[in-house]
Amino acid sequence: MDMIQEATHVARAEAARALARAGSAGGEFLTFRLGAEEYGIDILKVQEIRSYEQPTRIANAPSFIKGVVNLRGVIVPIVDLRLKLGCTTVEYNSFTVVIVLNVRGRVVGAVVDSVSDVLALPHDSIKPAPEMNASVDTSFITGIGSESDRKLILKDIEALMSSADMGLIEPEFAH
Amino acid sequence: MGEMKSEVSSSGAGIDLSQFYQVFFEEAGENLDRMEQQLLEIDIGSADDEELNAIFRCAHSIKGGAATFGFSDVAELTHQMETLLDKLRRHELAPTAEMVDVLLLAGDALKAQLARHQGAGGDELDTSALLVSIRALVAGKAAPVVAKPVAATHIAKPVEAAPAPSGPRELELQVGPLEDISQAESLLDLFKEITDLGVIEPLDGGQSADGMRRFKVTTNSSDNDLLDLFTFHVSREQVKLMPLGPGYGFHPDAPGAPEQTADEVGYGFFDNAPGAPSPDEHVSVLAAPVPSETTAVATTARAAKAEKGPAALESSTLRVSVEKVDQLINLVGELVITQAMLAQNSRAVDPALYQQLVAGLADLERNTRDLQESVMSIRMIPMSIVFNRFPRMLRDLATKLGKKVELVTQGEATELDKGLVEKITDPLTHLIRNSCDHGIELPADRVAKGKPEHGTITLVASHQGGSIMIEVRDDGRGLSRPKLLQKARERGLSAPDSMTDSEVWGLIFEPGFSTADQVTDVSGRGVGMDVVKRNITEMGGTVEIDSAEGYGMRVSVRLPLTLAIMDGMSIGVGEEVYILPLSSVVESFQVGDNMIKTIGGQHRVVEVRDEYMPVVELERVFDVPRFDWEHSCAIMVVVEAENGRVALMVDELLGQQQVVVKNLEANYRKVDDVSGATIMGDGRVALILDVNSLVRRSRH
Repeated sequence: MDMIQEATHVARAEAARALARAGSAGGEFLTFRLGAEEYGIDILKVQEIRSYEQPTRIANAPSFIKGVVNLRGVIVPIVDLRLKLGCTTVEYNSFTVVIVLNVRGRVVGAVVDSVSDVLALPHDSIKPAPEMNASVDTSFITGIGSESDRKLILKDIEALMSSADMGLIEPEFAH
Repeated sequence: MGEMKSEVSSSGAGIDLSQFYQVFFEEAGENLDRMEQQLLEIDIGSADDEELNAIFRCAHSIKGGAATFGFSDVAELTHQMETLLDKLRRHELAPTAEMVDVLLLAGDALKAQLARHQGAGGDELDTSALLVSIRALVAGKAAPVVAKPVAATHIAKPVEAAPAPSGPRELELQVGPLEDISQAESLLDLFKEITDLGVIEPLDGGQSADGMRRFKVTTNSSDNDLLDLFTFHVSREQVKLMPLGPGYGFHPDAPGAPEQTADEVGYGFFDNAPGAPSPDEHVSVLAAPVPSETTAVATTARAAKAEKGPAALESSTLRVSVEKVDQLINLVGELVITQAMLAQNSRAVDPALYQQLVAGLADLERNTRDLQESVMSIRMIPMSIVFNRFPRMLRDLATKLGKKVELVTQGEATELDKGLVEKITDPLTHLIRNSCDHGIELPADRVAKGKPEHGTITLVASHQGGSIMIEVRDDGRGLSRPKLLQKARERGLSAPDSMTDSEVWGLIFEPGFSTADQVTDVSGRGVGMDVVKRNITEMGGTVEIDSAEGYGMRVSVRLPLTLAIMDGMSIGVGEEVYILPLSSVVESFQVGDNMIKTIGGQHRVVEVRDEYMPVVELERVFDVPRFDWEHSCAIMVVVEAENGRVALMVDELLGQQQVVVKNLEANYRKVDDVSGATIMGDGRVALILDVNSLVRRSRH
């Protein structure tokens, strides 16, 4: 009897510990809209949120790189995530927002349709990313989070921005 | 740094000395650099008193600091060096090339020790062999360790001063001038009181002549001990110990007088005198000189130094961290932007109504410009900082390779931005090593060719327009065109005979290229020159080679002078604004369509006076969208880069202003034909055009 009691006690302690660990692995996410979908990215990578202003065009850049803007004296490239991720409608209006990110020591701006809020998602509310067909850009999706009835596509924004085909970083520097 | 604590614990004052370490390390570093430089410059045949004193002081300062902080290994080594240097400055020993070598090695050992104490780690340096050498030199014997293989031994004949033998020495003690000459007697008494000190007897028969007394001292003790003793009664300057020479040599022309080299006549002491070096040349002879040339070279070197004398006074400086200076430069940059914005927005202001406002803004512009110039100059440091490391490096290298090389530097006062200085040092080092290794021939070969035995490597720095030019020239064997072409073909590169000479010389920048027959550990492996070119290009500079086989080679490096703020001309293409560096703009004019001709069906040229210049249509280069389909490019701007001129076709000239150059690559990547970006008065970004690459584009 004693052995069983002790084993149960140990098992319960382990479970509690695992739960506590997992709870802190959820993270806080900034949620934003691209077309009909809602996305979430690690809040720690977000520097600020600005309204969209017409950037200075850079010749011969991919179409999703709109150009560069002046952010308090720093030249920041602006990437339109809607174009990169293949959204159908792309508008630039008063609701259009730029999320200024700080990834791998670089400051980059990402254009999105609108920004919602910051959510703390516990680990157990995040499900692994499903396998989808190639028509949707599924790279860098770390999981699907759910909060009330919202489904959030969680993306690794750092990896996305540093990837070679994003064209922000010269190939020899991309790691 | 475990041993630190045990050594520092002796400072019972309870002050935490570690806060002063950094200052000590920096100052010790400077002292070591200065000492090394002076050791390299020293003339073995006729060393200047002031030079020897200066070297002594360097060692002395380091010793003092090291002892205070408990770095006993450093203190010990410097103490020994100090002993040797003290003898040298007191002319008790004559300098030899060997001593200079040992002192240079000791300097290296000190650097390593200090680095270790700063936390670089590593084992404790074994300086015992070095210490033995120094002690041997102090005692007047040859050092047991031969530091370097001296390939061509032409050691200048040392001035024969009697080295101190180990037995009882006979010295001459000179006391005075004294106001009360009887004080000299008390020295006599003092000396006699101490047993075993030796024997002292008057040389001047007990009478003083011209206020001086002279005694003969026979003793086993060291000079230092004697002097310590005598300074009980008289001050240090009034006591002099000399070896007992044939004559007393008190007066300049008396027999036995120390050589008064400064008075030698007719060796270019003054600017226009025969044998004078040209004012801005600074010659340091490295490998040991041929004896017959010694005196002439020695005095010309001294003359050059004498001219530099007043400038060599200790300038008062302030040690400031680089971050603070950079922060200051950034803030001034932002100020320039704000001022430009104010200027632009106030253009519409009626000057009659707002007279004071307009006047104030004009003042602001002037003040901002002055402030900016001053601040930019803070980061500028003279090229001498870069050049200073080369004499030592070249000396070691030349000795190792058995060659004789002289280094001549010009334009050391040319100033360069600190950031560039750090980046230019490695490429320059490589170029010099290359010249020494592959360019300069062995002495015997040079003589056979009728060249002087000494090869010369010349380093020249100068300002040219908005750039700084650095040249590395040598009078060695130069590049061989046939060899280069052959090597290129072997490596599968396209090398037609129709290549111009400069294109052929440019081949050595290809990776892996080397026509060296042997790979030494210095160079020859072919990984150097392409890295040099890449480094320089990354700095926004260019590098070119010129050579004449049998005569020598010249490598010219051109770097932009200031990176941060420049004068720009803003031009409009379509709806977009671009900036051209004003220093590259030659002229601009209006064109009609009929002035543009086509060559070969594709290349467009425009006639400018008597010259046909290629046309670059910026609209096409930057794919500028056009909203009205009238071809409105009506203006040509002629720009010049070092590789040629082109005419840029633009819509309009917008204006001229100072722009703060912002780095595009910090957050983005390198864009073709664009060298950077700037922020205009309205807060928008404008791209700054890279004129060099636009010119290059027109050539292909």
